Amino acid sequence: MVRLWESVAFRLAIFCGALVMGSVTIFSAIFYFGTIRVLNQDVDRKITSISQLLSVKYGTQGLDALHREIDAILNDKFDVDTEIYYLAGADGRKVAGNMSDWKELSSPLDQSIDRDVLRDGNPSSARLLLHRLPNGGLVIVGRDMKDINEITYLVWRTIGIGCGVALMLAVGGTILFRYLLQRRVGAIRKTVEEIEAGRLDRRIPISGVEDEFARLGREMNRMLDRIEHLMDGVRHVSNTIAHNLRTPLGRIRGHLDEALRAADSSQLADAAEFSIEQIDGLIAVFDRLLQIAESESGIRRQPFKTVALREVVTNVVELYDAIAEEKGIALVTNIEGDPKTLGDKDLLASALANLLDNAFKYGGRSVTISVRTRQNTGTVSVVVQDNGPGIPPEERPKVTQRFYRLDQNVPGTGLGLSIVDAIAQLHGASLQLEDASPGLLARLDLPPSPSQ
Amino acid sequence: MAGGPCIHHIYSQLQPLEHRILRVICMSMRCLIIEDEADTARFIRNGLKEAGYTVTWCSESVEGLHLAMSEEWDIAILDRMLPGKIDGLSIVKTLRELGKTTPVLILSALASLDERVRGLRGGGDDYLTKPFAFSELLARVEALIRRSGKREDTTELRIADLRLDLRTRRAERGGKLISLQPREFRLLEYLVRHQEQIVTRTMLLESVWDYHFDPQTNVIDVQISRLRSKIDKGFSPPLLHTIRGAGYMVSAHG
Repeated sequence: MVRLWESVAFRLAIFCGALVMGSVTIFSAIFYFGTIRVLNQDVDRKITSISQLLSVKYGTQGLDALHREIDAILNDKFDVDTEIYYLAGADGRKVAGNMSDWKELSSPLDQSIDRDVLRDGNPSSARLLLHRLPNGGLVIVGRDMKDINEITYLVWRTIGIGCGVALMLAVGGTILFRYLLQRRVGAIRKTVEEIEAGRLDRRIPISGVEDEFARLGREMNRMLDRIEHLMDGVRHVSNTIAHNLRTPLGRIRGHLDEALRAADSSQLADAAEFSIEQIDGLIAVFDRLLQIAESESGIRRQPFKTVALREVVTNVVELYDAIAEEKGIALVTNIEGDPKTLGDKDLLASALANLLDNAFKYGGRSVTISVRTRQNTGTVSVVVQDNGPGIPPEERPKVTQRFYRLDQNVPGTGLGLSIVDAIAQLHGASLQLEDASPGLLARLDLPPSPSQ
Repeated sequence: MAGGPCIHHIYSQLQPLEHRILRVICMSMRCLIIEDEADTARFIRNGLKEAGYTVTWCSESVEGLHLAMSEEWDIAILDRMLPGKIDGLSIVKTLRELGKTTPVLILSALASLDERVRGLRGGGDDYLTKPFAFSELLARVEALIRRSGKREDTTELRIADLRLDLRTRRAERGGKLISLQPREFRLLEYLVRHQEQIVTRTMLLESVWDYHFDPQTNVIDVQISRLRSKIDKGFSPPLLHTIRGAGYMVSAHG
């Protein structure tokens, strides 16, 4: 029972069943009061008024007149099937009427009572009103209730059958509902179990009907897609981290090992120098990974302040102008207005520097690199555009993956655009990579600072 | 500069590094290190001793604070995270609250910019993240000692025949005007202010470009070589030197 109660379908069905039973009961009650009670009250009213009329007759005209009146009513061919009259004298003997002798002595007077009597010698279940006359005589006015009782019985039977059918429907509905629900939920549960067991490619089957379960399934599938993508990323990252850290570590170890065995001071010095250089490279990779992690975790969102992009762009461009000059690259800036965003100045500078690094690295010699800011409604954008070879469309989604490198021959860590992407996400912005035909257009769409 | 005429004579014949070492010996700089990690402390201590400093090492924060308060130091190097109730930051705060102006360099394994800002706001004069190259530490220590020595409000900086007018922001060498972009002038100004001192790439990035991340490319090297071609090409002696594995130095004795 406890297990059953733990099923939502069962609880829902019980609830619905109770609701059906409740409404049947209320309906029946209304029906009952609307029919049986009205009929009963009608009878009560009728016998009361007749009893009063007879009582008045006796008061004004006496016992004989009353006797005559009752005989007349019994013979008027009106209500002959149901009417019951009885008149007894002061000595208690029957004077007139169609009812068998009344033997009860202590029956309540002037109110309706139900008794089984003989009416014209036939058994009858009757409703009677007893009235004591001033001389000690007894007048009983009554009505045979056979018809009304039959109606009452019919009504009760109808209600009973109705309730029974409703109960059966509720039970049947419960079982059906539980079955249907379990089939849908079961499919989801089965998929989840499979995913739990490591099969991350499983998806919830979506039925043709666009109902709540289909929507839930679709949303869960979307979530699973995202998780699978992230898991792939993590797997890729751990592989590449292992590769990127192990390779230099292996090289360092090899060099030191060799130098130790040779035990020659100049070789030791060379090995030490080599190791420091390699370790510095490792620290740089490590710092970059930390910066990505820091941006992704969002802990730097706390000290966000209004940042003037003009200052950020100027600082970074003036850091790279010498290298542009050396490489014969034209570095052009164009700042529209005074764009401001809410963010972390250093991180934004770092993002821009990484974009410039990329343009310098992959743009080739004698390209033109332009750094622009643009102010649109709802966004302020920082654009770095070059007219170099650009990135093929199929590679664009991959270049923000950690350690992904477009050209293995170009030195680098493969973390630059991952950093930009992480910084953009931290700022509620997006990094757009577009074809500048020719070249690459990298754009950061940042939310404008609220003061603007 | 300390020393009599004899020392002056030796000075003019020295290489930059020797020059620096001698200067430190003459002044006998006193340095206090508060660092709980023995290996790091030994590494710094040996390095500074080699550079001619008198070094006192203390591994415990309460004793460290006591030492920092009771004696005069030219520089204090302390770890951001120390075991016990008092950490590096509280030591700096206490020192500053008690009116001590000893220059303080904070060392920390916490690399994030927030931590750096907290360290500097807390009263630290500079912040260095572990792991670091010793040359970086030495350069910063020297810069701190130099800065605390004189707070100059000069309008002109000079080295050999190079003259920087800080008001008009113009540079001249041998009477000839050198055309510099504003940022190049700031770079040269920083180098000349720290003449005869090694200045690292990170120090330049932080103070000239206000940039607190390591850029991937050798941007600073290229900036320096462009500056060098402007101030040294066609002049003698060369002023802007590259110190291998450490950074740069502006010196007339190279």
